[in-house]
Parts: sequence; C-alpha cells; structure tokens
Amino acid sequence: MRIKTRTNLLIPLFSSFCIGSAFAGHTQEIAGNGYKPVYAVSRNTEQNEPMVISLKDAINELKSFYKIKIAYKEGLLNSKMVAASVTTVFKNMDAEAALKHLFTNTTLSYKKIGNNQFSVFESRTTDMPATGVTVLSVPIRGKITAARDGSSLPKVTISLKYYPVVAVVSDESGNFNLLVPDELKDKSLVLIISSVGYTTKEIKVTDPQQAITVQLDESNKELGEVVVTALGIKKSSRSLTYSTTEIKGSDFTQARENNVANALTGKVAGVNATGISTGPGGSSRVVIRGNGSLTGNSQPLYVINGMPIDNSVPGGSATPNGITTNVDRGDGMGAINPDDIESITVLKGGTAAALYGSRGANGVILITTKKGRAQSGIGVEYNSTLTMENVSVFPDFQYQYGQGDGGIKPTTLLAAQASGRRSFGAKIDGSTDYVAADGLTHPYSAQRDNLKHFYETGNTFTNSIALSGGNESILYRLSLSDLNSKSILPNSKYNRKTANLNLSAKLSDRLRIESVIQYSLETAKNRSTAGDALGNPNWTPYEVANTVDIRWLNPGYDSKGNEVIWNDAAIASNSYFVVNKHQESDDKNRFIGQASISYDLLKNLTFKGTITRDFYNYNYTNILPTGSAYTPLGEYAGIKSDVSETNSMLTATYTTKIANKFGISVLAGANGRNYTEKRFNLTGKNYIQPYFYSFSNLATSSTTPYTGRIKTNSVFGSVDFDYKRILFLTGTGRQDWFSTLSSNNNSIFYPSVGLSFILSDAVRLPAVVSLAKIRASWAQVGGGGPDPYAINLTYSSVPSNSAVPLQNVTSSIITNTQLKPFTSTTTEIGINLQLFKNRAGIDLAVYDRKSTNDIVSVPISTTSGYSNAILNSGELSNKGIEVLLTVVPVKTSGFSWDMSFNMAYNKSEVLKLADGISTFSLGNSANGNAFINNNVGHTYGAIYGYRMLKDVKGNTIFDTNAGLPAQTDINQELGKGVPPLTMGFTSEFKYKAFSLSWLIDGKFGNKVFSVMEVYATRLGLLKSTLPGRETGLVLTGVTPAGAAYTKTIPVADLRSAYYNSLNRYTELFVHDGSFVKLRQVIISYNIPVSKFKLLRIQSASIALVGRNLLTFYKKTDNFDPEQSLTNGPAQGIESIGLPRTRSYGVNLLLKF
Amino acid sequence: MKFIHQTYGRFLPVLCSLLVLQSCSKNFQEINTNPDAVSSPTPQYIFSKALYDGITNSGNTQSLLLGHMQYTTSYNDVAGFGSKYVAAQQSQSASVFANSYSTQINEIGEVIKAVKDNATQVNLYAVARIWKVFCYSRLTDLYGDIPYSQAGQGYNNSVFQPVYDAQKDIYADLLKELDAAAQALNPANTTTFGAADLVYGGNSLQWKKFAYSLMMRLGMRMTKIDAAAAQSWVTKAITGGVITSYTDIAKVSYAGSGQDINKNPMALNMLNSDYIKADGLNNTEGGKYQQSFIDSLKNNNDPRLSVISVVYQSGVANSTPVVQKGLPATINGVKPADFGTYSEPKQSTVLRVDAPMLIFTAAESYFLLAEAALKNWYAAETASALYEKGVRAAMQQWDLSSGVAGTITSIQTDAYVAAHPITGKGSSVENQLEQIYTQFWMGIFPDAQEVFNNYRRTGYPKLVPNNYPGNATNGQFFRRFLYPVVEQTLNTNSYKAAVARQGADIFLTRIWWDK
Repeated sequence: MRIKTRTNLLIPLFSSFCIGSAFAGHTQEIAGNGYKPVYAVSRNTEQNEPMVISLKDAINELKSFYKIKIAYKEGLLNSKMVAASVTTVFKNMDAEAALKHLFTNTTLSYKKIGNNQFSVFESRTTDMPATGVTVLSVPIRGKITAARDGSSLPKVTISLKYYPVVAVVSDESGNFNLLVPDELKDKSLVLIISSVGYTTKEIKVTDPQQAITVQLDESNKELGEVVVTALGIKKSSRSLTYSTTEIKGSDFTQARENNVANALTGKVAGVNATGISTGPGGSSRVVIRGNGSLTGNSQPLYVINGMPIDNSVPGGSATPNGITTNVDRGDGMGAINPDDIESITVLKGGTAAALYGSRGANGVILITTKKGRAQSGIGVEYNSTLTMENVSVFPDFQYQYGQGDGGIKPTTLLAAQASGRRSFGAKIDGSTDYVAADGLTHPYSAQRDNLKHFYETGNTFTNSIALSGGNESILYRLSLSDLNSKSILPNSKYNRKTANLNLSAKLSDRLRIESVIQYSLETAKNRSTAGDALGNPNWTPYEVANTVDIRWLNPGYDSKGNEVIWNDAAIASNSYFVVNKHQESDDKNRFIGQASISYDLLKNLTFKGTITRDFYNYNYTNILPTGSAYTPLGEYAGIKSDVSETNSMLTATYTTKIANKFGISVLAGANGRNYTEKRFNLTGKNYIQPYFYSFSNLATSSTTPYTGRIKTNSVFGSVDFDYKRILFLTGTGRQDWFSTLSSNNNSIFYPSVGLSFILSDAVRLPAVVSLAKIRASWAQVGGGGPDPYAINLTYSSVPSNSAVPLQNVTSSIITNTQLKPFTSTTTEIGINLQLFKNRAGIDLAVYDRKSTNDIVSVPISTTSGYSNAILNSGELSNKGIEVLLTVVPVKTSGFSWDMSFNMAYNKSEVLKLADGISTFSLGNSANGNAFINNNVGHTYGAIYGYRMLKDVKGNTIFDTNAGLPAQTDINQELGKGVPPLTMGFTSEFKYKAFSLSWLIDGKFGNKVFSVMEVYATRLGLLKSTLPGRETGLVLTGVTPAGAAYTKTIPVADLRSAYYNSLNRYTELFVHDGSFVKLRQVIISYNIPVSKFKLLRIQSASIALVGRNLLTFYKKTDNFDPEQSLTNGPAQGIESIGLPRTRSYGVNLLLKF
Repeated sequence: MKFIHQTYGRFLPVLCSLLVLQSCSKNFQEINTNPDAVSSPTPQYIFSKALYDGITNSGNTQSLLLGHMQYTTSYNDVAGFGSKYVAAQQSQSASVFANSYSTQINEIGEVIKAVKDNATQVNLYAVARIWKVFCYSRLTDLYGDIPYSQAGQGYNNSVFQPVYDAQKDIYADLLKELDAAAQALNPANTTTFGAADLVYGGNSLQWKKFAYSLMMRLGMRMTKIDAAAAQSWVTKAITGGVITSYTDIAKVSYAGSGQDINKNPMALNMLNSDYIKADGLNNTEGGKYQQSFIDSLKNNNDPRLSVISVVYQSGVANSTPVVQKGLPATINGVKPADFGTYSEPKQSTVLRVDAPMLIFTAAESYFLLAEAALKNWYAAETASALYEKGVRAAMQQWDLSSGVAGTITSIQTDAYVAAHPITGKGSSVENQLEQIYTQFWMGIFPDAQEVFNNYRRTGYPKLVPNNYPGNATNGQFFRRFLYPVVEQTLNTNSYKAAVARQGADIFLTRIWWDK
C-alpha cells in the first residue's frame, strides 16, 4: 500500500471532486507551529476541510509521518472515525504519544513491539483504556443540534480549548461523550465545537455532571467559504475575481415553486427571474444582468454538477399573440426536484462563466445536487409540502351599467348572445326582465365575483423521500419525489415524478468515480393557453358582461357536446367549453445521466473524464374538439420529439506551491457537445367521425419532420495563481469550434483575466473591518449561431395531395453564408467588505457588458421575400450596478436576526443591428397594436405602438372621416418591457426552535401593455368607458387643418362608434409595471423530537409557508404587473392569461 | 496570458488524442446540413406552389372584398369589416400585402432565377414572367405603390428594405414584361412546365392568350389616368389575341380532399369562416349574402340566383329564388332573430372546395372588349354583341365551378340576355358602360377583386356604400387597402417615401390609376 497524502485522503468524503481537491490542496493553511492547531482547522472552512477522517487514514498518516510500522487485525479499524484535528498535532509529540492521543476516545490499545513497530488491538474494557490515561469518573456528555431545524448533528468535533488532544466526534444522534484527562479536573474547561458549514462555538463547562446541549448556527455567507464555480470547481470565495451568489437548497424546499428557477425571484442581485403566469408546470424566465442577446436568447446556461443540461421549451415558447395551441409547455428546469438540490450558485457572467464558453455568455446557474454522506446506517429524509393557491388580483371593473349595447339590456336570448361580453347596457337596477345567454331570466344586478366563481382553489402536494449513506469508499443518495398539482383552472393538472440516484466511490487511492442518474416524468393536462381568444379559457371570466354570473354558462356545451354560444364572436370561446371539452395533454420522459472518472496520475495532477447525457422524449397533443363554435369540425396539433444534449469532457488539473508563497493551479480540458432534436409536428383538422379524437380520424392532416443537429468542440484552460493568499490572479482561455457557423470562420478563442486582492490582509485596517476585498475582472466569450442550417439556402417539399409535387424555400429566414462567431465582453469590478466581526457585509459590483457581432435573426420587411434575415452585426450594451447588504443586528444563543438586501440596476442599450436596420421586433400583441422592439439607440425590449395625435397645444387631432382621434405612426416608444431596477429584501428571525423569515421584492421602471384592458374597453367593462352612458359622449378636438372639431356619439353608438375603436391607441393600455410584493413568508418550528424518542426521528420541523401573499405597491388597477404569459423575449404584454395567485401551505421535514 | 498558452502547449495534444478529435471541426458541414431539405431547387415544383399561392393570397380569399363589393356581409362587426369599414378593424386590409411577398413573389423569383439563363427553357421563363405580372398586378391594384423593382431580393441581393415603386412605373414594367413574355413564348419548343403548370398544362398558345388578356386588363385599368396608353396597350393585346373561348379560360383545378393547399381557397375560406355547418344558423362569423346582391339578382330574374344561393329551411337547403333574402350590412353586432332565413352561398357550387378557381374568364374578356368597342378602340364587333357574349360566357362558366348543379340552360340564358341589352340603362356610352359593369358585378362573382378594380375605374356598379357607426371612411367605399403597420417600422424610409408620393396611408387615398 502506498503512502497517501492527506489531501488525497479527504477527497471521497467531499463533494469536491478531482478539481476541487486540487484547489483545496493549495489553499490549505495548516498552522505548523504554535499551540492552536485545532483552530486552524476549524476556522479554515473555506477549504471545506473535513472534521473527521477514518481512523485507518489517520493511522496511515501517522505511519508515514513517523516512518513506523503498525500492525493490526484486518477489519479492526473499519468504521472508526476520529477528529481530523488529531493528525495536525502529530509533529508536536513523539510517535507513541501520538498513538496514545489517537486512541484517546476509542476502545483500542497499542503495544510497542520494536523500535519503530507497534501493534494495535482491541482493549478489554472501554472504561479503562490500556493507554493508562486517567479519566474523569463522569465524562462530559452532551448533544449537538442544528439551530436551523433542531436536527441532530453527527460528526461534530468537540475538543477542549488549550488541550486539543482531548477531542471527540458526535455520533449519529449528535450525542457525544468527552473523556477528560484527570489532570485537567480542576482546570476551567472550555469546549470548542466545530463542524463544516457551521459557526464554531465555545462553551464554558460550568458543571461537568450536567449534559450540555449545543445548537450550532450555519455559518454565514462569509468570505471564508467555498464556492462552486465553473465546471464544478470549488474555490475559496476570497480568491474569486467576480461576483457569484450561492443559495442553499433548503431555500427552495419550504415555500416551493414548482419550477425552481421561479424561486430565484428577489433572491440574487442582478438576477431578474420572471414568474410566468401559466399554471403549474409552466416555464421560467431568468435573465442575469440584462438581456445579453438581441434575439432574446438571453437566459443563462443551466448546469448540473458541472455539466450543462437542456432548458428548452419543447416546440418553442408561447407567443404573445398565439391562439389555441399557444400554451407554455414548460422548460427543462421544471423537471428539477428542489429536494435534490444541495446548492445553486449563480455565476453572473463574464469571467465567472468564461470556461463555459458561448453558452455561458448570459451567465450560468450551477446546480449542485445532494450526495450521500459517510455514516453508519441509512439516513432517511422525508419532505412533504401541501400548498393551496387562489386568484390574488382582481380587475377593477365598472358595475354601474350592465350587459347590453346602446344603453339597452338584453331581454331575449338572441340579444343576450349578441351582447354576452358587452357591458354597454342599461343602468344596473336589479330589474327582472333581463335575459342572459343561458336563455333564463335573472335579476339585472352586478356580478363581481366571476373570477372567484370560475377559478378553483389550486393545490400542490409534494412528497420526497431520500435515502443516503455510505462509507469511506462508497457514498450513495437516492431520492424519489412526487409532485401533484391541480391548477386554479378547472380540469388542469400537472404531475411530476423524479428519481435521482447519486453514487460516488473511491476505487483506489487514486481512482474515483461518480455517477448521477436522474429520471423524471412530467405529465400535464389542459394547460391554459393565453394570447388571443380562441381556446383561451381565461377569456370568459375576464370579458363576460358584468351582470352575468359566469356559472350560468356552465358546462359550456349542449346535449350533443357542442359549444354553447355566449357572445357575438365565436372566436371568443366559452371558457367552460374549453375546460370541459378542449383536450391538451403532454408528457415528457427525461433522463439525465452523468458519469465521471478521475485519476491522480501524480499527487497533484489529476485527470477527470465526464460524460453527460440529457435526453427527453416529448409527446404533446392539443385537441380542438368537434362542436367548437369557431371550428365546428375540430382541429388537431401535436408534437413528438426527442431532444438530447451530450457532453464529453476531459480535464487535467495540476497544483503546486512555490516557496510557500506562491500557489499555482492549472486546469486544461476539452469538451465535445452534441445536440440533437428530432421532431415531428402533427397538424390536422376536421374529425371525420365527430367527437373521436385520433390523428387517424382527420380529414386533412400532415406530418412535418424536423431534425436539428449542433456540434461544438472546445479546448480550454485556466490558471490560478496566488501570492500568500492575499493576491489572486485567474486567467482562462477557451477555443470553440461551432458546426453552426461558416466553415471559413467557425472558430474563436477568447480569454479572461481576473484579480482579487485581500486588502485587509495586506494592510492593517481599522478593527471594525473584518475583511476588505477588491476584485476586478475582464472576460470575453464568444459563440456560434443558436440554430443549425443557417448558412445555406435550401428547398423543402410542401405537403400536397395533388398530382404535382410542391416545393419552396425551406425557411422564410434568409441564411447567411458568412456567419461568424459573436462575442460578449464583460468588465466587472467589485468590493467586498465584512464589518463588525462579519455582522455586516457589503458586496458591490459594477459591470459593463457588451455584445458584438451578435447573431440575430432580424425581422425584415416581408417585401424582401423573407420574414427575417440572419445578421451577424448586432451590438448591445448592458451596464449595471449590484449591491448586496447583509446585517446581523442581533445574534445571541437564543435569538438571532439576519437581514439581507439586494438591489440591481441594469441599463441596456441597443447599439447596432445591421446597416440600415434600426428595429428588431421581438413580438407583438394580439391584434398587433403593441410591439416589443429593440430599436437602435434605445433600451432592450421596449413597448411601441400608437398614440393619439395631438397638436402643439395638446389638442386631440381628429380623423374626420372616422370621427375618431387620429393615430400617430406606430413607432411611439411607450415604455420599457423589462424592469431596469430590481430589489429583494429578506429578513429572518430565529428564537430557539422558532424561525420567521420573509422576502419582499420589487421591480421598478417597466411598463406593461394590457390586452385584457383593450378588450375590457371595447366591451365596456372598464371604468374609463363610463363617460357618455346617459346622454352620449361629446368629443372635442381639432381637425387636421387646425379648426375646432366636435362630435357627439349617441348612446346607441357608444360602443361601435367610439369605445370599440380605442384599441387604435396603444398608449391607453400601457401602465407602469412597478411593484413591491411580499413574495415569501416562512414560519417554522423545530419539533423537539428528542423528547419523544419517537420512531427514531432525529429531527422534525414544520413550517407554514406562503408565496406571493401581498402586493404592497402596484400601479395597474386591473391586472398583476407580473402577468406574463411567455418565457420568450417579448416581455411587457399582458394577454388574458391565467390570473396570478397567492399560495400558502405547510411543509414538514423529517429526518430519521 | 503567456501562461495559458504554455498550458495549452502541454495538454492540448493529450486531450485531443483522447477525445479522438482528429480535427476540431470534422464532419461539421455534414452535421450542419438539413437532412429534410435539398440544396438545389426544382423549378417545376416551385412554380406549382407559386400558382397556388398567387391565387390564395389575393383580395378575394378573405371575405373583405366580397363584403366590400356587397356580395356578403355579417352582423358581426369584426367579420363584417368589408361591408362596414369599422375603424377598429382596419388592419385586416393589410394581410394580402403581408402574405404575398414571402410566398408567390419569392417563389416566382426562385423559378425565374432557375430557368432564366437556360435557352431551352424559354417557355418556362416566359410563363414564369407572366405569372409574376399576374401576382404583382393583383397587389398593386389593392395598395397602389408597392415594392416591385427591389422586392423579393432579400436573399439574392440582400435588399431588406425595398423601395416602393410608383404604380405608374410598376404598370409600365408589368406591361413591358407581358409583351416580352408573350413574344418569347415558342409553341414549337416542347420544353414546358408540363403537368406542373396547373393552369394550362404547358400549353404555350394558351399562355400567350392569358398574357394578352392580362395586358388588356391592365391596359384598360389606365383609362382614367392615361387614356392614350390604355388604348395603345389594349389594342396591342387584342391584336395579340385574348381569351374568348370557354376552353381557354385560365383556371386552376383543385382536389376535394387532402391538404388545404389543394383545395379551392375561396371556397375553403368561406366554409371555414362561416358555412361549414351548412345549417344556416351556426355561421361561425355570422356571414350571409348581402341584401344589395340578392336583391339585384332577384329583381333581374337572374338564373344564377338559384345556382349560387340557398336558404336553409328546417335544415334543408332551398335554392328557390323567391325565398332568397340578403342580410343588411348595417346590423350593429346583434344576430338577427331571423338569421336562419337569410341566403348564403350554396355548398354544391360556390363552396365546392374541389371546384376550379377562375383567374381569367372569357366573360371578362368580352366585357373589356365591349368597353373597348364603346371607346372605338376595337371595331371587329359591336359593343352590344361583345356585351351579349360576355353575359352568355358568364352564365356558361358556372358549370365549371359546379358541374350539373351550376348549369344554366340556354333557354334561361336567352331570356336573361333578351331582358338585359347593353342599352338596358340607356343608350349613351356612359349608360352602356354602366350596364357592362353592372353585369360584370353579377357575372364575375366571386372575383370581387376585379369588380373592385373596375368599380374604382368606372364607378360601376352603382352601389350605395354603408354608413356604419365607427366606420373609418365617413361612409364611403375604400379606394385602396392599408399597408401592414410593420412596414412603418421595418421599412420606414421606403414607407414614408411612398406615403409622401401617393398620399396618406388611408382607405380613401386614391391610387395612381384611380386618380
């Protein structure tokens, strides 16, 4: 057996795999002299040092240190652990003393059998170790628990201050028994209690007879910690030259979002996570430091355990103006079970993500999944959450005039059907001759609760169980989870099952393997559509006339199953018909497999190979049934697709130290990425046999194949250099080859450099400053085109049943033979201050990010023969500032109060599109009155549309032909679609076993265009449609020639001649989208299970949780400013999607 | 930086060999080749597509012009836009422009590019040019100035913001093209589009007639603005030989099943938007025949009434003229209680998805020739005789659309002709012109676009526009369609130049030949 170095010994116990260990190696700072070695270890948590090691390893180390031989019976040392600290004191004593020390708290004895030879054996009694150390008759007993949830903490090191050789490790239940040498009996004893991830505590022993209970607090986000960085490399955060934020997995498992990415809202400065209001199973939109690509492909790369995964939405994102099949089909992140997440690290771009190359240009979200821990027995963790949700925002409609038109209420069925969604009727007076679209007579009175009547209480029930364990050579964790969601929309459901298995093993001293296998199955039924009217289940509750109780329209179909008419436009579906008869269903089978092997060629040279495959199979059908009012014979849409992303990566890391002052670590690697999408789009219409919904039963049908293939090969490297751990310098470089680019120009090299300087260690600062760090970095990343086949013009056949074949150009997008890589350059500087012994912290970052040669599919005039052109010349700038403040105002053993405030401001500017092109439209509203455009010289993604034409004096200029205010041109900038200013404020109180935390977040400075208001205006629901109801509306203004103009609209024509046409003025429906919300509240209680000795429960906690509970501030009267319906780039349009909800529930966590 | 490169130097060879990356971009071209597409076009296939698309994307396939020329209407003010001109819906009129360029204009451009320089494919080139003229003429007649000389050049010449050409110049070039193409057609050369030619199956002589017919149509368009040029082109066209026989009618045949593209686009659109239930009650968008059209057919004892129109009575289609009744266009959004009693298009004729689309008929030729005769531009026959032939041809062609169901007997035709002489509205040239274009309205249905064109030029038929609350035109007929609003954004300068030249982008601005 070869002698192992300490560094290598530690590896399998940690998540820090090959690369991480290499870094840990050079960051060790073991105090070699002096008297307080234990402190050195326990304080040095930034290296993720273990607190325990196996006894066998300790003995091996002893052997190598003293060059002695030690004999023992096979298996004797198995499963025995000792405090890691014991080995650090070897050099202060001779070999025998060290052995004695090592066996202090064990049942083992030794015998010297030669000059350099010892034998080890089991002693007869535990009470009287053969070492001859006298112990106190009563040892110091106690229990260690976590302050956060009261759970028992195993493997905590308990040692005596000033006598570090006296140490013990807590057992699985957190209990310990510290045997104190007799000679210390009369001394004042202080226990030092330390564990990874927890703040070290000192406890004075007042009465050695009394059992001590110690609660450990999780360590703060101090600079001492280790952060997972690109490729899963762990680095001490003091060495980082850029801004990152790490969030613990537990932040996602109490007050849950089905899609973990949505839970990032408000938590990280500079991360704009937009909750999408599309129901359970919906997708997320996360943008870090502003939209980085003009095409809107600005979402970050998601990485699990160092390897990228796919986050696409099958078949593409919903559009702001689609119909029927315009559903949010959910993204890749939706399949991740929050219970499997150990931590999420947000790499905000630039240097942080440079190693990921092009796809890291928009930042990277690194997810580290949980692994097993070495322990005796099996650890079982059970987490259950039940939440309920209700509609939280209601429109402020008028209830003075009811259903009808021209001031007249309907008194016949036909009149009721014609005006089913019009509230231009008579004054609401409770009269009883009113007939509604159900053909029945009702009192003519206001119905204010249609949203409450139509939508149900949604609920989500999540259950996860995880089994974990292992020993020094193998670690495992298996989790199973089931999430069952019922939307607020009747008959709409979502279910997600995940299984996650993590296995890691140390096969020999040099060889380690790790594998993660995740399988998920997502099934959804009847997801809500949004956008335009047809098939939109939200249309009726929002637009039905205000004297109609929506339940009168239930069930929405007649005895034959045909849609019941409720209004004049068949395209505005009866929502009950939609929820009862439309059939949307999808299922996604997803498999993510990762396997890695790492091998230490030399002590400090490690090779690692990893293969990851993220594969999903997706089936989607959307059935517009027979009997729909608008499409009586029905329609069919389907997608069947297989998508896979495979990455193969090889890395080598080398670490060394020069003259004990310079640390160097080098990484080199290569990666091959293969992305394949094979898809069939199925469309058809007219069911031959009515009410029978099969693709085989369509009178007209077609199947269109799509195959997309992308390959990217890369080599990359980085070097990290430090001087006395005061000055850190990092450099990276990467070369990518892209299959999607022109073969003449498909490769790009890009570098990054970063510098971090620990000012507080270099010069003496005032005592209040615990740490002061200055960092600066510059990085460039480049990338290829996002889509394949963008180089050459091709021709495709068109489905046709005539005798002659049909063909046309494959795409309406103009291909570009000269496509070359784009680049994105980020400069960032930041400072980090920790004050008052880490009780207060400030982290400040300023960045400047510029994208050049952006590959953009620019919408062009269709008169060119094409709808878009792929251009390679976009330039976009994002500049911003991020602030993170942390304060711990109170911290005592029983009570603590933590606060954290983050704020980010991002200013974006479109600098260039292409020569002669100044506008890039990202999307538009239904009916095309509002556009989301990127205009050169303006902010990214602003809202454009029409205003009313005014003269210099502010008079409205009238179009005298139409008798309406004239329109301006459509290119009026009406506001930003993306909020430039975002903030989040969290606060957490802990009192003994109770804790209370909340998150308040806000976004400011953006506008939202409301399609719901457009219709509510045309239909007479908004209060702004009240003028003129009694005597007609007098319009005054000027003619185009400047003469005075007056026109009176009679009550009879109020809708048709005026309010109906207000959709022409986009500006009327654009509102300030700023808000401040109480995003999350968690009240939790750690149940003192130790008192019950129940079912061997180690810990239990119960929490009351709430999400989106209150809106403190908003400027939109009729909708929630976060009412977004797509995770695509066109943000800033509300279009009658599923209403926003508040959710509340209970979370139970049990550990066995 | 230096260090990075040193690092590379050390590890690169190892890594590459381990990953078997012999070349870091090996197979990239193959990977980046779409397995579902081909790299070179087949002009025949694209030509067929261009024919289908050129017909589908016209002012006829939306109900807009059918409503505008008072054939149809709806109580619903969205679907009834064509007959009500509601300001809130004005952007509907932009769709033909928005749809045409990336379909038929792009496709015919691809065909021309592929066949142009090949001497043996002279007929293919000539036919493609004629079709291009047809497509552009349909567009410019609706909008006035449109992108023409630079249009469809997005891929070939990277023109992303084509200028709008003055309609006058477009017309000049369209006529020149027709002339050149007609002359280039060589019946002796048997290389043609053959079966891919859905109009004439590769018959060059018939294409020549179609070219000259189009030349006559476009020439006649200029009677108001430039009578001399009109006369010159019309005369030339007549000399070249226009479509006058039933067998030469330019039409595209459709199948009754399969993909939508294989179905008669007008019938399909009407069915899908309104009449698919065929019960007279559940018309999706509230569509019916308009009162003025049905009244006119009824008042004139027109035998076509029972060919094209039905009223559903207890679910049974009744084509008897006496029960036919048109829906007034002024209904303000409320479905009338007697909605089921109004006439609508007949399933077995107008709504037949397997019926051919007639794109240039003998009837149209005769009516245009009658006008030419009235103007003394054509002397071989009298205006009266030509007019009568036009009426007869218009009656006869219904059997193309509808087989037996649409056959109008010679007795019916004779009686109708006798009752409707060219002098029916008086004997002046103007009266005769009115008679011709009133018959044109009744006879050319459902080609509302040609009716709209001739209405704007001649003022006939004398229809009374609707004055619906909230209409955008102060109760007047459109004179043109609106450009897509995105042109204001994506093609700003060209758009502005066109508006500065032609007049405001509104319905009442008159296009060049309508001035």
